[in-house]
Amino acid sequence: MTGDATVQLRQVEKRFGDLIAVRSLDLQVAAGEFFSIIGPSGCGKTTTLRMIAGFERPTAGLIEIVGRDVTHLPPYRRPVNTVFQSYALFPHLDVLENVAFGLREARTPRAELRRRVGEAISLVQLDGREQARPKQLSGGQQQRVALARALVNRPEVLLLDEPLGALDLKLRKEMQTQLKDLQREVGITFIYVTHDQEEAFSMSDRVAVMEQGLLEQVGRPEEVYRRPATPFVADFVGLANRLSGRLVGPTSGDRYEVEIEGIGRRLADGPPGLAAGTPVTVVIRPEDLHVEPAGDSASDAVATAGSVAATVVDVAFLGAHRTVRLNAGSLGQLNAVGRGQAMVAPEDTVRLSWKDDDAWVVPAASG
Amino acid sequence: MSFRRHPVAGALALVVIGYLWIPILAVAVNSFNRSSLMVRWGGSTAHWYSLAFHDHNVRAGLVTTLEIAIGSTLLSLVIAVSGSLWWRRASPRARAVYDALVYARIVLPEVVFATALFFLFLKSHFPLGIVAIIIGHSVWNSAYAAVIIQARLIGLDPAVEEAASDLGATPWRVFRRVTFAALLPAIIASGLLTFTFSFDDVVTSYFLGGNSSSPLPIVLFGMIRFRITPEINAIGVMVMLFTVTLMCAAVAVFAIMGGARRGRRGAFAEFYGQ
Repeated sequence: MTGDATVQLRQVEKRFGDLIAVRSLDLQVAAGEFFSIIGPSGCGKTTTLRMIAGFERPTAGLIEIVGRDVTHLPPYRRPVNTVFQSYALFPHLDVLENVAFGLREARTPRAELRRRVGEAISLVQLDGREQARPKQLSGGQQQRVALARALVNRPEVLLLDEPLGALDLKLRKEMQTQLKDLQREVGITFIYVTHDQEEAFSMSDRVAVMEQGLLEQVGRPEEVYRRPATPFVADFVGLANRLSGRLVGPTSGDRYEVEIEGIGRRLADGPPGLAAGTPVTVVIRPEDLHVEPAGDSASDAVATAGSVAATVVDVAFLGAHRTVRLNAGSLGQLNAVGRGQAMVAPEDTVRLSWKDDDAWVVPAASG
Repeated sequence: MSFRRHPVAGALALVVIGYLWIPILAVAVNSFNRSSLMVRWGGSTAHWYSLAFHDHNVRAGLVTTLEIAIGSTLLSLVIAVSGSLWWRRASPRARAVYDALVYARIVLPEVVFATALFFLFLKSHFPLGIVAIIIGHSVWNSAYAAVIIQARLIGLDPAVEEAASDLGATPWRVFRRVTFAALLPAIIASGLLTFTFSFDDVVTSYFLGGNSSSPLPIVLFGMIRFRITPEINAIGVMVMLFTVTLMCAAVAVFAIMGGARRGRRGAFAEFYGQ
């Protein structure tokens, strides 16, 4: 992948006074990739994007775009364009002139400028609105003008800073689909910053999770979800049931035996190379947790040793599935989600079980 | 609001409007009065206009006034625009100091500045005259311009300038195509205001004019001391028409620049609404 990396960050660091916004960041984004950076607010994701755009200079490290060192180039000399969270449309220019701005700065010949601006406006389905001012457009339309204004320059990389943040939920979902289709159509590398993990997962080829200026994990959405590298990632990316334990030792490959507090020895998957005795967190996704009424004798026979007794606290019906909140005594609160969950009611006593394949071991947070 | 329909409220409004407009109306009417003492109506005439038009002192005064107003407007705008741009990126403490200096120039009595400048120019052997008056007017004019331009600048999202830079514009191009363009309505509005303030100023001009240069208001002031004739009324009416025309022109310019595409409400509302 290093070979055709469009964007490469090497040991990039950014300090604002005493605050370290981004620390020793290494990142590679491949050509044509839809790459997302997610994390809670203040994790350094926007700062990272702004460093790639050129609005912030890194305190240390190197930024390369298509093999060229751009670390010290100003924004107007970089082959990237940005879609801003606030859209940042030019209020005194109409849609046409907003979209044409970059081409005019590049002194594009008149005929070509007209053609490309027309194409860009069609691409975002704003034909007929060329003469409108940004103020006269709806939020979704403004967002599309911002997209067209950036894409018309055919940048090597398009940077998007929470571009859907200001839209309402329904429009947001619609725009996610459109954005993904658009990216496939134009084939430009997208780097997308959002705090919304679901949004990132639904569109991205790969996702980077950041926390307190540090890169926690990079990988395909499914990888990040199924095999989180840290307890933080496990928590940030969807709901996670976390059980504390200690590693007994590897059994085969990436399968480990774990002593789970309050349950006993179980098998679980994990990243290779964990040493015996390591304190770990066992992550089980809510959809992998099976809930069965405790009294059912037929099930009891099947119920494996190591299944857990719990009381149902609450059941929430959410249309496509239901969420069951459980109190598992010393293990604390657990969540189960699914369509096939047995019909249970609050205060029922139940047994919980999961497959070894669905348990994932993460080294416990040291601090 | 039932309050609006109250008869006393309506009457009060009429009184206030009358109080404001009747003297102006009287000036306008008397400018056509054949009777030079203006104690009663002596029949209508355009004589006073012709007199004012051919009055050498009045003409010279008008030229001086225009020179001062244009000079002071330009100087004030340069000070206000550059100051506001600095203010925008300054630290909160520096901003507070800047704001205090701006408001002090608006709040403190004009006589104080005029006297202070008078002594300053005298001590430093700076010649009194047109240039001195321009500097004097710019003291408060630049403050008014700064307030208007800052208000517009606050509404300008810094991300808009970043966007321009992101789209390939050099810092100078960003200023020209985005910052300055966005400020233009405010610059025109404040330019107009400062022009008008400078146009009818007496106090500062009186202190800093010396013997040689007398702008129109000072000329009028001198004329009144000898004799009040309808000629002064005629001059007043012409000045008034000039100022009103200027105002209309500015609103029209604003409409063409910014408001035209925003429907009928646009121009006027936006011009005054900022």
